[in-house]
Amino acid sequence: MFKNTFLTILIAGGCFLASGQEAPLSTGEEGNIYQKIYNAPLVTSTKQATSFEKLRKEKPLLLGLIFTRCSGVCNPFLLQLKENLQFAANNNSVNVVVLSFDPRDSITDMNSLAQRLDLENDLQWTFAVTDSILPLIQSVGFSPVWDSAKQQYDHDAFLVGINKDGYITKKLIGVRSANDLSLLISSVNNIFSPTYRLPGTNALFSCFNYDPTTGKNTPGLGLLFIALPAVVTVLLLILLSYFNAPKVG
Amino acid sequence: MESIKSKKITAVWIITILTLFVVSIVLGILMRLNQGGVIEQTPVAFYVNMTTHGLTMIGIWFVAGMMAVNFLLQRYVKTSHTVNILALVFTVVGVLMLWTSTFIGKFHAGWTFLYPLPFKIMWAKWATPVFYLALVVLVVGWLIWCLSLIAQILKKYSISQTFAWQHFKKNPKVETPPFILISMITLVGITTCLIAAVVLVALTAAEYFSKGAFVNDALLMKNLTYFFGHTIANEMLYLGLAVIYELFSEISGRPKWKTTWYVAIAWNFTLVFILTAFFHHLYMDFVQPEGLQIVGQLASYFASLPAAGVTVFSIFIAVYRTKINWSLPNLLFFIGTAGWVIGGLGAVIDATISNNVVLHNTLWVPAHFHTYNAMGNVLFSLGFFYWFATLDTEKIYSGKGTKLILSLLLIGGIGFLLAFYIAGADSIPRRYSNYPPELAAGIPLATMGAAFATIYLIGILIFFFNISKGCLKILSSPSS
Ligand code: HEM
Repeated sequence: MFKNTFLTILIAGGCFLASGQEAPLSTGEEGNIYQKIYNAPLVTSTKQATSFEKLRKEKPLLLGLIFTRCSGVCNPFLLQLKENLQFAANNNSVNVVVLSFDPRDSITDMNSLAQRLDLENDLQWTFAVTDSILPLIQSVGFSPVWDSAKQQYDHDAFLVGINKDGYITKKLIGVRSANDLSLLISSVNNIFSPTYRLPGTNALFSCFNYDPTTGKNTPGLGLLFIALPAVVTVLLLILLSYFNAPKVG
Repeated sequence: MESIKSKKITAVWIITILTLFVVSIVLGILMRLNQGGVIEQTPVAFYVNMTTHGLTMIGIWFVAGMMAVNFLLQRYVKTSHTVNILALVFTVVGVLMLWTSTFIGKFHAGWTFLYPLPFKIMWAKWATPVFYLALVVLVVGWLIWCLSLIAQILKKYSISQTFAWQHFKKNPKVETPPFILISMITLVGITTCLIAAVVLVALTAAEYFSKGAFVNDALLMKNLTYFFGHTIANEMLYLGLAVIYELFSEISGRPKWKTTWYVAIAWNFTLVFILTAFFHHLYMDFVQPEGLQIVGQLASYFASLPAAGVTVFSIFIAVYRTKINWSLPNLLFFIGTAGWVIGGLGAVIDATISNNVVLHNTLWVPAHFHTYNAMGNVLFSLGFFYWFATLDTEKIYSGKGTKLILSLLLIGGIGFLLAFYIAGADSIPRRYSNYPPELAAGIPLATMGAAFATIYLIGILIFFFNISKGCLKILSSPSS
């Protein structure tokens, strides 16, 4: 008990300190991309000791950070993730690690969470705890804040994509759609996903106009500008030859 | 015929070009020394050197081809002396403005200044507009020069004759000299890519002054950038080839080359392929339609093949089992053609989509373009410089001097290029100011490149010293 309280204070303090440091933790989705995840030792539902390195070498990982006593986003987040995963493209190419960032959570707590979600026998899912949560959450840019009045962590729904080499390739913050999950799965599998700038009134001469509702690209005015130099040259040639009649013929 | 006025301005061009060449080679050697860890420059200093080196090199070897074509064109048509002087002034002013933006303003977006990089100010705020103004000065000066030469050709030859279309049929009544055909094809290509530069600068200025009300499309800007950059870098080689067609047989004591049906067809095709080959710079841009990627690959193959095939065939026929008066200019032409073909093969390997996935943005790219520049086009121009400087005199230096210069250029050039090729094949990326431990293989190769480039530089300095005598003599001769 004492150990858990101490760790809670430590992690909350760590987050507070980190937020006051010169190089603050990057909490947005862009932060920590292409950095390696900290290789934390893990205790999993089978009570076996393992590590991130071992797990990610088998398959790329999706890491969900939660705590079992959460009265907020953790449950809807995991339920949505479970549902979306069934519909996401390439969903079998990844494994999911659900890791508690709350030092009070034991592996028994995590097992009962897995049971509640009906995932205790699903080999794609691993529920785990670690004794090295602080360096791990720092390595992914996750910063929960302890709210002592509510006795809850104030935190985001946070899903991290880790490829087989241990690099963070993409993060999703918030409860997201199956489409976003597919993009995350592609990224951990090192599959390129095209992105398009949405049309705006200030972009007049796009080569192609992307329609976000249909997902289709149609030729735009910009293409004319690529042909323009050749057209102007031909016109100039005609003009020059017209005004410079040849002296021999 | 060439007047003394035209000889004087040509001599000024040569001295200006070689001076700028020496400075640019020094910048190149500094870059390789930095990559090799022999000297330590800040990344900003490296990229300032890289931007200045790239743009100055492209600029000077473009004008080298133009001024040689201008000089030789006077054998067929009258050219404008005023426009020639104007081009020289615009070039010098443009280069000085460019160097101000890079050396003083620290502008360092690379010679391709790819959008939106110039807008991400990491240098003095004024450096971006000065850089673009420099570009405007250069492009306007060159466009006027180009159009003036085309207009002069069209005064004597009809449009179809300049493109040698009458040679598609048997026994044409009028012969288009190969020099006119190649010059015209190249000048038209240059005009097109300079107009692409005008469109590019206009769109950039529109965004710059609109304060956010107008933004450009990155794909359009990339297409236009390479339409200009790739094409001008390519066309300048063809200016060199025009000079070879005019001078190689003459210097070698062989009959003048004639335009045949296959020469005419090859060069007409070349015009189209050169103007569409730039699409190969956009292989990694997934939004570009696949059709254009295929056009890029095919045009890259075909752009070099007709002209290269015909030129190599013509040179081979000219030298095979015949007594040739070998001298420095035709040896430079001959070796330059070999460099052009070898560099061209390296380029075609890279322009093949399946290979490009591996070689994209590695040192293989500078490897191939330095081959057909430093050991191709530069040698074409040096051949012309030497021929020009010795026009009115008996040879300035003996066979010994010739051998020394050629040996230094060959040993230095080949070693310098090999360092690029080996590193490129080993996936060492281009445009790295320093190589991290993962790319340590690039470090000794960079030092090796610097050492061999220094040998090449010594060859250039000896050559410069020798021909400057001839150029100074022309400059000091009476004007009438
Ligand atoms: C011995 C002579 C030369 C030396 C030592 C030299 C050296 C270099 C080096 C070290 C680089 C940077 C390579 C990298 O990406 O890491 C470079 C880039 C370049 N060089 Fe040269 N070079 C020489 C001759 C030439 C010539 C003759 C031309 C053109 C006619 C040329 C045009 C360029 C261009 C266009 C770039 C690309 C710049 C950029 O990426 O923005 N160089 N050169």
